Amino acid sequence: MMKKKQSGVGGTNWPVTILLIIGCITVFFPLYMAIVIAFKQPSEMTNNIAGALSLPSSFSLSNFTEAMRVTDFWNSLGNSVLITLVTVVLAIAIHSLAGYAIGRNMGNSKFYKFSYLYIVSGMFVPFAILMMPLVKQTSQMGIGNRVGVIVLYTVFYMPMNLLLYSGYLKNIPMALEEAAKVDGASTWKTYWSIIFPIMKPMHATVAVLTALGTWNDVMTPLVIMSGTGKNTLPLAQLNFQTQFGTNYNLAFASYLLALIPILIFYLVCQKQILNGVVNGAVK
Amino acid sequence: MDKAKGNERKRTFLLITIPILVLFFVFNTLPLIKGLVYSFTNFKGYGSYDWVGLRNYIDLFQDARVGKSYLFTFKFALVSTIIVNVISLVLALGLNSKIRGKSALRGIYFIPNILGGLVVGYIFSFFFTYILPSLGQKMGIEFLSNSMLASTKSAWFAIVIVASWQAIAMNTIIYISGLQTVPEEVYEAGAIDGATGWKKFKSLTFPLIIPFFTINMVLCMKNFLMVFDQIMALTKGGPAQSTESISFLIYKNGMDGGQFGFQSANAVLFFVVIVVISVCQLQFMNKKEEQL
Amino acid sequence: MKRKAILAAGCGAALLGLGMLFTGCAGPAAGSDGKIHIEMVQYKPEAVKAFEQFQKKFNDTHDDIYLTIDSPNEAMTILKTRFVKEDQPDIIGIGGDINYSNFLDSDMLMDISDFDGLADIKQAYLDIDKNLEFVPEEGTYAVPYMANAAGILYNREMFKENGWEIPKTWTEFIELLDTIQASGQQPLYFGFKDTWTCLAPWNAMAVDLAPADVCQQVNRGQASFSQEYREVAEKIIQLLPYAQKDPYAYSYNDACTAFARGESAMYCIGSYAVPQILSVNPDLDVDSFVFPASDNAEENILNSGVDLQFSVMEDCKNKAAAYEVIRFMLEDENIQIYLDEQNAVPCKEGDFQLPSMLDGMTEYIREGKMADYQDHYYPAEMSVDAMIQTYLMDGDVEVFLKKFDTEWQRYNRDLIAKVKKYEEEHGSTVPDEREAGEEGEE
Repeated sequence: MMKKKQSGVGGTNWPVTILLIIGCITVFFPLYMAIVIAFKQPSEMTNNIAGALSLPSSFSLSNFTEAMRVTDFWNSLGNSVLITLVTVVLAIAIHSLAGYAIGRNMGNSKFYKFSYLYIVSGMFVPFAILMMPLVKQTSQMGIGNRVGVIVLYTVFYMPMNLLLYSGYLKNIPMALEEAAKVDGASTWKTYWSIIFPIMKPMHATVAVLTALGTWNDVMTPLVIMSGTGKNTLPLAQLNFQTQFGTNYNLAFASYLLALIPILIFYLVCQKQILNGVVNGAVK
Repeated sequence: MDKAKGNERKRTFLLITIPILVLFFVFNTLPLIKGLVYSFTNFKGYGSYDWVGLRNYIDLFQDARVGKSYLFTFKFALVSTIIVNVISLVLALGLNSKIRGKSALRGIYFIPNILGGLVVGYIFSFFFTYILPSLGQKMGIEFLSNSMLASTKSAWFAIVIVASWQAIAMNTIIYISGLQTVPEEVYEAGAIDGATGWKKFKSLTFPLIIPFFTINMVLCMKNFLMVFDQIMALTKGGPAQSTESISFLIYKNGMDGGQFGFQSANAVLFFVVIVVISVCQLQFMNKKEEQL
Repeated sequence: MKRKAILAAGCGAALLGLGMLFTGCAGPAAGSDGKIHIEMVQYKPEAVKAFEQFQKKFNDTHDDIYLTIDSPNEAMTILKTRFVKEDQPDIIGIGGDINYSNFLDSDMLMDISDFDGLADIKQAYLDIDKNLEFVPEEGTYAVPYMANAAGILYNREMFKENGWEIPKTWTEFIELLDTIQASGQQPLYFGFKDTWTCLAPWNAMAVDLAPADVCQQVNRGQASFSQEYREVAEKIIQLLPYAQKDPYAYSYNDACTAFARGESAMYCIGSYAVPQILSVNPDLDVDSFVFPASDNAEENILNSGVDLQFSVMEDCKNKAAAYEVIRFMLEDENIQIYLDEQNAVPCKEGDFQLPSMLDGMTEYIREGKMADYQDHYYPAEMSVDAMIQTYLMDGDVEVFLKKFDTEWQRYNRDLIAKVKKYEEEHGSTVPDEREAGEEGEE
């Protein structure tokens, strides 16, 4: 185990650093292929190793501009960002509350224990069985559009996020709340002033996982938003792929473009995970 | 005074929980019930349909293809869950230790999770079809010199590799956020006792992140038992129908094909099977957690 | 306090976002401009450029009708979900395959036998559509627009250089394969990793060797696949030694690339693959010929099916306007626009400029010597393509044919019951003559 070599407090653990850098190859190699292909022309594609790994004949951005045109990039990006951001905000607000209410009581109340299992087991409903009924239901409710997609995501990610929040709360001592209670604060207020801020690393984790799922999802917007004329990025990216022909070069350029916003979002969030406040708070 | 406080607390919790349960019921359980109704019909997904009673359920147990898909899915999920949890735990410990370039490394290891199905499918198909066999031939390794994806014996493992490659990122994040809850004092106290390496991990770190281990086990189960994207990207169920997962069948035959009713029955059965498994799993883990 | 501010900002953003979403819904109501609105959804996104032209041209020339054409990806999923939403377009452009049969069977399409444009459509294609009906329906429900053809694509330059001849019979074909292999070149390339490509040679051979209505015969209990498909199954597996090693490792895309780069002389696939091939090598000289699966050259016919056809939905409110749109699509000038954009065969009678890669097939097209893809009758959920792939890998013809028969009965149970019921009520479902031409007249 690599932990054996952990050096004393303060020093850099070089062996682990080096191992981790070597491990990056498993990520860089596929990424390199994706980038090279994104710059090539279809006529440069061949069926051998040299052909796939060689550098493109020129690093022209034409694939990227063409991909942006085909996907109506800014509009699709706008929809994707809007849907993802609203979903993430709702997820953090609603799911953390659910995690708090259910997680704090499931140990001593059958009702909350049941609620917990009920919601978590919802995770295992295959989307295919829900799809047609949901399409009909959202359209009857008049939310067969982006609103419906957001509402559905808020429900779909609830099981996972409930699992995450209630798991995290297990490591947060009740003592913290009780102190506030003695001061006469209401439960609602205690939650927002003490518990919610303390769960910051988990908010960041939830934000990342929820955003990732919604950002890449094709099926939900495809079936719910069909016929509204609105596109998300993954929907627009379907343009590159038909049964009888796929333009991998444009598709890869477009995928790389779509990767950038979510990667930035992750980097911002992971700082929050990293700077967890729990340690300080517990002290 | 104390009693009033308790009531206020109870009321607040109920006021939070009930609307959430209602929301969940309307957009998850209600459509599930409708799907359940369809499982007793020969509904194609549109148009008119007839009631067929329990025929779909009887068929399920006689359909060799469905049986094969259950075997494949569980084999796949078990192997992937083990691989992913071991690697991501090690990776999380590494990324959480005192290393240089922490942010950059964490960012890099996250990338596999963002790449879309088409990119992953193309790159790994290329890897398995062209790169790996030629490496195998050069090194004289017989079983590598043919494409893993073209053989019914190895294709499932190729999917394990790709699915793990993608899933490790997510599990690592969860473990990392779990490691944040381990207070420094624990380590310091452990250091005084002389706990190092594996022993320290086993007796100090791991017990504290058990809730996160539970979460990861459940999420792995969910993601791997419901594997779909990687199969679409890599094999589309082939070769010779050897990698058809349950979700793949439900989706492909229920949506693309005209078997909506039958596959709804399959989905219901599948749902019951996983819920039973994961409730057992959760109960077991909760017991473990309490013991520690 | 800072946290609170962040939280408030977050909630504010969420509310603002929701607000934007709601205002976004309130689009202009359809028909507010006094025009009749006709919406068409067609399932070939690759033809979007032609349809964009059609939409513009139609709206420029019509004051009373406003046409919108949608060419979405995953169109079949979108159509099905829109049916569930009861938000149906007026016209759908789909292929002549089992989806059409299913939509028709679910009473979703309108009888358009009074549409004047039908008179100009080649009888062979009307017959193909007629055959797609599960049980004979009164009337006509689709206007065949474009067809595609499948057989063997070949590299004309390689053939010229080596003096190879186009084979007319199975024996000649095998001789040609031997000759090419002996010359050290690769005769065939398969992309069997994508299972659907297994159907390309299968369909092209089955039209030569099995009756065109074999599936209907089986549904009526008058034939078995074990008998009718035996020769197809035995012959398709003979192609394998002439293809690259381990064809199950390579995808459709790999095969297109290999053929485009001259790595193989021939490729058993349909005309639909040509754009992908040319994207890799725009200078390739591709031609095609009919698959010679039979030793009797007369029995070898072209495998051609309706690739795009228009149907009016049952609840379309303006039948006349829908007809006007289809009439417009069928104008010779517009058909030629489509042909130039896509490699297709028009279903309308007339003198059109066909793409050069169909040179070897024009004679068959002109004479109407063709039959539909057999897989247009296979239920998708039966996954015949995967069954063929399995058979090619293990080579057991008996197991394959037996499985074909038993699985067919299972997957088509409701349909067979329906056919039986119809026969009890109406006598035979089909006139005694097996010629498709007769059938169309009933």
